[in-house]
Amino acid sequence: MTALQRAIAQPDPVHGFGIRSPLDGLDRRSVGFADVLAQSVAAVAPTAAATTNVLLIVTSLTNGPVVLSTLAAALFAMLTAVTINQFAKRMAATGSLYTFVSKGLGSGAAMATAASILVGYGFVAVFALLGGANYLQLIGQRLWPSFAGSGVVAGLAAALAIVLTAVLVRGIRISTRVALVVEGVSVAILLGLLCYLVWQIGPLDWAAVVPPGGVDAAALGAGAVLAFTGFVGFESSATLGVEARSPLRNIPRAIVGTVAGTGALYVLAAYTQVAGFSALGRDLADSRTPVHDLAEAHALGNIGVVVDIGIAASFLACAVASTTALIRVLFSMGREGIVSPRLGRTHPRLRIPSAATAVAVALVTVVPLIVAACAPVLWDAMRVVLCVSAVGYVVAYALVCAAAPLFLRRIGELTFWPAAGAVLAAVGLAVGLVIYLVVESSRSNAGVWLSLALAAGASVLIGWRLSHPVPAIGTYDEPTASEVLGGVAGDREPGQRKPEPGL
Amino acid sequence: MSSGDELAARQPRAIRNALTVLEAVAELGPGATAREISTALGLPRATAYRLLNLLVQDEYLVRTPDLSGFALGAKVVNLARSAAPRWVPSVAREVLTEVRTRIRGGVHLVFYTDGRVEVADEDSDFPLSDPVRLTREPQRYALGRMLLAEQGRLDVADLDHYGVTRQIGEISPEYACLAVPIRTAAGVLAGGLAFSGPRHRVEEPTAVIAVLMPAAQRLTPMLT
Repeated sequence: MTALQRAIAQPDPVHGFGIRSPLDGLDRRSVGFADVLAQSVAAVAPTAAATTNVLLIVTSLTNGPVVLSTLAAALFAMLTAVTINQFAKRMAATGSLYTFVSKGLGSGAAMATAASILVGYGFVAVFALLGGANYLQLIGQRLWPSFAGSGVVAGLAAALAIVLTAVLVRGIRISTRVALVVEGVSVAILLGLLCYLVWQIGPLDWAAVVPPGGVDAAALGAGAVLAFTGFVGFESSATLGVEARSPLRNIPRAIVGTVAGTGALYVLAAYTQVAGFSALGRDLADSRTPVHDLAEAHALGNIGVVVDIGIAASFLACAVASTTALIRVLFSMGREGIVSPRLGRTHPRLRIPSAATAVAVALVTVVPLIVAACAPVLWDAMRVVLCVSAVGYVVAYALVCAAAPLFLRRIGELTFWPAAGAVLAAVGLAVGLVIYLVVESSRSNAGVWLSLALAAGASVLIGWRLSHPVPAIGTYDEPTASEVLGGVAGDREPGQRKPEPGL
Repeated sequence: MSSGDELAARQPRAIRNALTVLEAVAELGPGATAREISTALGLPRATAYRLLNLLVQDEYLVRTPDLSGFALGAKVVNLARSAAPRWVPSVAREVLTEVRTRIRGGVHLVFYTDGRVEVADEDSDFPLSDPVRLTREPQRYALGRMLLAEQGRLDVADLDHYGVTRQIGEISPEYACLAVPIRTAAGVLAGGLAFSGPRHRVEEPTAVIAVLMPAAQRLTPMLT
């Protein structure tokens, strides 16, 4: 009889595991791989980003190698994703990046990551609601030319906010499934159109990939930084650590799969737009809606409306996914006592983090209404919001990549390549952040200054919080005794936290 | 390993390595670190860590709460079960089908092999809440109590009164479970036939026993 057979036949009692997960109260292990993947993909909003990314590069940089920059950004996003997966394949946590950072860099850095990623998720949710309202207004205006004005946009934003709220309170299975269906339809529309356009353009145009005059390394780097902002959100499925089935397998796959899939879509979209305009002999930088213009040039005028509907849908899915992630980070912070423990409450029947949902939904729905009603030019306000969000994400990514080698060393699993990749990613993200801030400030984007102001405010708050007794940060979804062979339940309270108040 | 989607005939070494890692964790005991396991196996560290993470992802291993140690996951029980599934003859299945049409509720058949519970025929209309837990915490299930009583590890008054074991409200408050034994001609406990359903039908068990007992007697020559 081998040791394994003996262990199975007569398991020795194993102590040290709790009877429940420290993050008890959520709909544990209820969401399958497709929905986990949808959470990450929807948070990226690839349909919207596939066209805006290209516009961002061509309007910010003269002669930027658009396709190569997009490819470089995709490769760098993959390096970041693989580094985040060093954590995601070892632990499942609703706190996602900040919980990961706590395991490598300690409480202060964990709180900084929490602040950054809350800004990232929160601002992108606001941006997505505004973007969705904006596109719906544009679609409406084609049908009724008088369908315009800030009141109309604010009304549409309010309607989307109601949909968002209704979806989120129905529980995680419904909200991830809505994101999956909506995002799937949206990507299918864009992919179909891009494939048709590539077929129309004809043989591969190498000049569109590698500019004939050679590649300017500085422009390539700056372009890659801008294109990278189109990938942020890919890690958001990590916030479903408790709710995902087989989280240590499905979440890492979803993270890498999202980067690979959206990367391929972006490269295809970039090539189509560059090669398409070059085939028409027109300048891409002069177009505000390049995919529409290409569709019209190839006698598909009305397809533009369909694409706009797809983009509006993508924005809605993005708002759902980003708010879902925001709620789970707030919930985790509440459970740990970083913020009010009330935010750690869950609803006994719906099994959602009810208090965190109420706070997050209130914030991400009211802000867009105010912005839509008050902003003189909506797109300028949206640029500010998007910039702040991107800065939040990149800071959080840089911190988690810096934490990875320290975490691996602490658990005794440090090897060369993961460490090298993590250091490269952390340095690259830090340099990229500086480049991004410089590029955006040269375009006089007030988001740069708002980001810096938020960073200063967060630093003060974290300093104040650290001067008070700080709870043990790093609660994750530990295996329960029932998942361990011979696990004996009830040895101790799960995790470091007290049982949930109110239960 | 679980879904079989990545399993190919050209990867036998990976499978053997994975089983060797499970053996090493069983040998070293719960809490063994990745470094200890790679040393014990003589595998390169990167290879050992990759295998460990794959086994954790598939839940055959779990990490201890400090993340640096490993223990066998409850799922390894599936390896033993799937290795040699017990064969239930079709005549016995017909008896089970007949019992299921006569009783509203779940009817399950298990074997007791090498001192553990092995699910032989689960009622697909009323599946077991957690077959792994049945193996691990037998004292919480009627079928498990039958085994423990046979081993002399548990006194069950119901066995003297009714010749059955019961569990009421242990797993979920509204439901209960009742098991009758299947014994060989020599009187050795070979299997169990169980009913699971609303608790009142187990609290007042005569009607259920009147169906299960004769069925268990009919099953005995087919299974032992």
